[in-house]
Amino acid sequence: MHHSEPRFSPAGDSFIEVELGNEMSFDLNVKVQALARAIREARIDGVMELVPELASMLVSYDPDRISYDDVVMEIQRIFGQQSGEGVLDMPSRLFTVPLYYFDPWTEECVADYRKTYPAKVADPELLCEANGLADRGALQRMHSGTEYWVAALGFWPGLCSLMPLDPRNRLSAPKYNPPRGWTPKGTIGVGGGLTSMYPDRTPGGYQIFARTPMPIWDKDQRLTAFNDSLALFRPGDRVRFTPIGREEYYFIEAKVNDGTYQHPMIDYQVFSVARYRDWLSDLDKE
Amino acid sequence: MLEIIKHGLETTVQELPGRIGYWEQGFPPSGPADAWSFRLANLLAGNPRDTAALEWQFIGPTLRFHRDGVIALTGAETAARLDDKSVPMWQTIPVRAGQVLACSPAKTGARGYVAISGGLATANVLGSRATFHMAGLGGLGAGALKAGQQVPLGESGATHKLMRVVDSARPPIAPAASAGTIDNRIAAMLGPNDTWLDDDSIMMFFDSEWTVSTQSNRTGLRMSGPQFTFSAQAYAKPAEHGSEPSNILDHGYPVGGISIAGQTPIIFIHDSPSAGGFFVPFTVPRFDLWRLGQARPHEKLRFRRTSMAQANEGRRRLDKLCSLQSLIEIDTVDA
Repeated sequence: MHHSEPRFSPAGDSFIEVELGNEMSFDLNVKVQALARAIREARIDGVMELVPELASMLVSYDPDRISYDDVVMEIQRIFGQQSGEGVLDMPSRLFTVPLYYFDPWTEECVADYRKTYPAKVADPELLCEANGLADRGALQRMHSGTEYWVAALGFWPGLCSLMPLDPRNRLSAPKYNPPRGWTPKGTIGVGGGLTSMYPDRTPGGYQIFARTPMPIWDKDQRLTAFNDSLALFRPGDRVRFTPIGREEYYFIEAKVNDGTYQHPMIDYQVFSVARYRDWLSDLDKE
Repeated sequence: MLEIIKHGLETTVQELPGRIGYWEQGFPPSGPADAWSFRLANLLAGNPRDTAALEWQFIGPTLRFHRDGVIALTGAETAARLDDKSVPMWQTIPVRAGQVLACSPAKTGARGYVAISGGLATANVLGSRATFHMAGLGGLGAGALKAGQQVPLGESGATHKLMRVVDSARPPIAPAASAGTIDNRIAAMLGPNDTWLDDDSIMMFFDSEWTVSTQSNRTGLRMSGPQFTFSAQAYAKPAEHGSEPSNILDHGYPVGGISIAGQTPIIFIHDSPSAGGFFVPFTVPRFDLWRLGQARPHEKLRFRRTSMAQANEGRRRLDKLCSLQSLIEIDTVDA
């Protein structure tokens, strides 16, 4: 569901939650990103930070410079000025992320969890079962067969929430309960309907089945991709996963370690939201 | 230079207002967990109140000074010694090059502050010296400080006034036994997702005692207490919100937000994740965040329902207390 008007709720005396709907969809996320961009461009005095998420955004403000009511009024005004269609074209970088599916490190991590929780079905098999897939090969083809949309960042520096752009490749899975105590850096997992990449060794809850040697955040900014930002992705970027084997994994890892790795990325494309919607409706007709 | 002889428990460089502008990418604001004590320490040391200073948790550090100046200790109560002499808290303390300050474990409260004239001059990371320890940001490049490290200091004036904080301007950091009494209740506002709880649970939250869990740190405080019951909204939601009643579609987390993870309330503090999938029915306003920073494991907390107007008033009152008006000049330092 999309709300016809943004819904505002105070979160203490210096944050506001702005909700544009309550579903996980590309269309709603594009609206959130467009509103975030417009709020940023408006440079409202006293509005500090925005955390755009899947269907909502958190706005932080300095209550000694602007009141809750005035922030709400300004955002309502900006929302009103946006066209009903939202953005039709937006610059969108495309990253190619090398993935070693069913790698030994995530296998080890899952096995470690199952020592304490033996009833937990191993993650790849759970994903196959939950999505009606025959085997791991089918899971890999399904997961790597679509482009993904960077819908949001957050939880940890650089951690991204990815939505599959091809609806035929949607995977979903319940999250771990209780959560996992650790996850290898660079692990890829699916939780709910999202794919995520773990920027660091952290706790986690997504079902995991692959790992990338490509760093997605670097506090020391060693690689050129991090010259401008400690985190690789921005909302509105796109990601493709390329399956690699063990040998390629180590080759890339060595280049990362010696500081010569170049992130495979192209930034000369514009993503056409309008043409994407046309393509989706053609798919529906098939 | 300031030499770390013993690092205590996760002693970090902190600064205000913290790392602002990168939360969208997942970098939390960080900064002192008890900004009230932090600011008074800086003022006592002759610094602007938001200058970089040390924060320690539960076990204070041992430090050697390599230049003359003044320092101040505030926050969690510690029995501190400068060489062989015990020194008072909440006062300016002159130090000479070569002297060693040793802090004892906290007697009350959870976090102590050591400000030094001139402030700490560690490198800025994304616009701030504040430390986000879990990701190794800030300090000397790896988060919390380690024994043997030398922390660079900023420029300091040649003379320093000796000052003391008036009793009425100090944060009332409670001895554990009196925590949770009426005077110590923590302010909490409804929202952003209070409609996900039923009315009984909202009353229950403000009427109950909550115990701080040992699994608490600078990202958040976990609490245990009675069970929550949920409104229809927590059940009638699209599947992508998640299977638990307390799951919500991933959304941004406010500092001070009280989320419900299953049945466990988790209060987000300064190093909290920027977003996640639990709803947030209550939020602690800025003026009472310091109480969360001083809460100890096993301590009992209670909350009081607070309006936006009360939060605004509380914040302005606290801002005035964090000023030179709260200090009086003294002739000598007495322990």
